[in-house]
Parts: sequence; C-alpha cells; structure tokens
Amino acid sequence: MLLNPETQRQGFEAAVRQYGEQLYWQVRKIVLTHDDADDVVQNTFLKAWNALDNFGGDSKVLTWLSRIAINEALDLLRKNKRRLTVSDEEPSVASSLLADPYFDGTETEALLQEAIAQLPDVQRTVFQLRYFEELKYSDISQRLGTSEGALKASYHIAVKKISEFFKLRD
Amino acid sequence: MEEEKYISDKFGRRNPFTVPEGYFEQLTAQVMNQLPERRPKARRVWMRPVWWAAAAVCALFVSTAAWLVIPNESKPSQGQVAEVIQQSQPDDAYFDAAADYVMLDNQEIYACLSDY
Repeated sequence: MLLNPETQRQGFEAAVRQYGEQLYWQVRKIVLTHDDADDVVQNTFLKAWNALDNFGGDSKVLTWLSRIAINEALDLLRKNKRRLTVSDEEPSVASSLLADPYFDGTETEALLQEAIAQLPDVQRTVFQLRYFEELKYSDISQRLGTSEGALKASYHIAVKKISEFFKLRD
Repeated sequence: MEEEKYISDKFGRRNPFTVPEGYFEQLTAQVMNQLPERRPKARRVWMRPVWWAAAAVCALFVSTAAWLVIPNESKPSQGQVAEVIQQSQPDDAYFDAAADYVMLDNQEIYACLSDY
C-alpha cells in the first residue's frame, strides 16, 4: 500500500495508527519530556512521508520509522545541549521530571533517568531500547546502524556507569 | 550480569512517563493533517539493458553496411596498386643511359656538341 501512489495516503495512515504509540514511547525515553517527544514523532512522520520514495520495502516499516525517530531524537538532544551551554544553569533532570505533570515516577525513578541522561547519546539510547523496551540487539542494530558487538559493549558500559552512579550515592 | 540485576532489583522496568489524556487517540489525525500532498514522482527516462544491446547491434550493422556500400575514394583498387608497384620498379634502359651519360668525359661532350 505504501509503495502504490493510489493507496499511499491510506497506507501511511495505517502505519501511523499502528506504530505511532510504539515510536512515541521509544522517543519519550530518550528526550524525556512529552512536548519534545511529540515534536519528534510529528517530525518523524513528516520526514518519512516526504522520503517515502526512498523506502524500498526491503526493511520493515517499523524499523525504518524507528531509525528516523531515533535520529530525530538524538538531533534534538544535541540541539538542547548546545542551547544549555549558552543559557543559565538548568535544574537537574530528576527535579525537572518530578515537577513534570506527565511523569508519574518516584524520586528513585527520576534519579535513574538522571543517571541515564548523563550517558553519551549512543549508550543512553542503547540502554533505553534494551533495558526498558527489551529489544534484541539485532533489532537495535538495524535501527541504529551499529554492529551488535558494539551495541553489547555500549550496553555493558552504560549498565556499569549507572550502577556506579547509585553505589556512590548509597 | 551483576550490575544489570542491581539496577532491575532497585528500579524495576516500569515506564514512569505518562501522556495527556486522549493523546494517542488524536495522534494519527494530527500527523495526517500536517502531511502535504505528495507530488507524483517525475518519470525517469531510461532504457532496459536489452534495448541498449539492440541499439548497439543496429549501429554496428549500419556502420558496416555503409563501409561496404559507399565508394571510398581514398581506398585504392587492386589495379591501381599494381600500377604503382610497376612504376616504382627500376627501368634497366634508363639506368644504362644514365650510366653512359655520367661516364662521358670532356672530349666526348665536345664531340657531341659539335654534332649540333
């Protein structure tokens, strides 16, 4: 349906309905706030729609959309980091989350998100996709375009850093 | 992995994030409303490899036929070639006359001139 010009719009709508929520949660765990996640998801679908001719159908629609979404999310993080370097000191991730009406976690869960947010982008993304989404390394590899071996190494380093973050606090 | 167990025991894997009420119900409509109309993709003019091969064979056939049929002035015929070869061969009579002439001494020259 997506490849046929007559049915592209219907096919795309079906894909948005089917994968929109799943993509949102992947993105939300990377960018943390609802507004940023919503922007990223909207941009992801817009970019996918404009680049539909490049989707040859040789990969799964979800994998293709997920790759675009993760790239968009990482782009947003980089933009936010640049913005932070020139603005005044921001409140900690944990305190921002605890003040967020769309965060329903405990203080400990907010601290976990803070520990994850301190990781480099790739480790952070791999940890979210592996730990929370419980995706296989082969799936993550297709979405990030990185080898499984490199992803395993990134995940192990991320887990070690997060556990050290809490052991130092305990 | 020991560290992973430490994290999962301490925090679990619960999703602590929420969304505004009705967000996912409206997401599809919101996304679809912002999409522009797609322009039909420009049709690319291209030839399949079999057509390229056919075109090459036709071009070869036409050029061969032209070379065989059209008279070529710069190409000498067999008769012309033989004539040129014959002309280029040394003539014995000519050599003899030339040799005689070269070997004339002054006396003989004067004798020849006095005949005229």
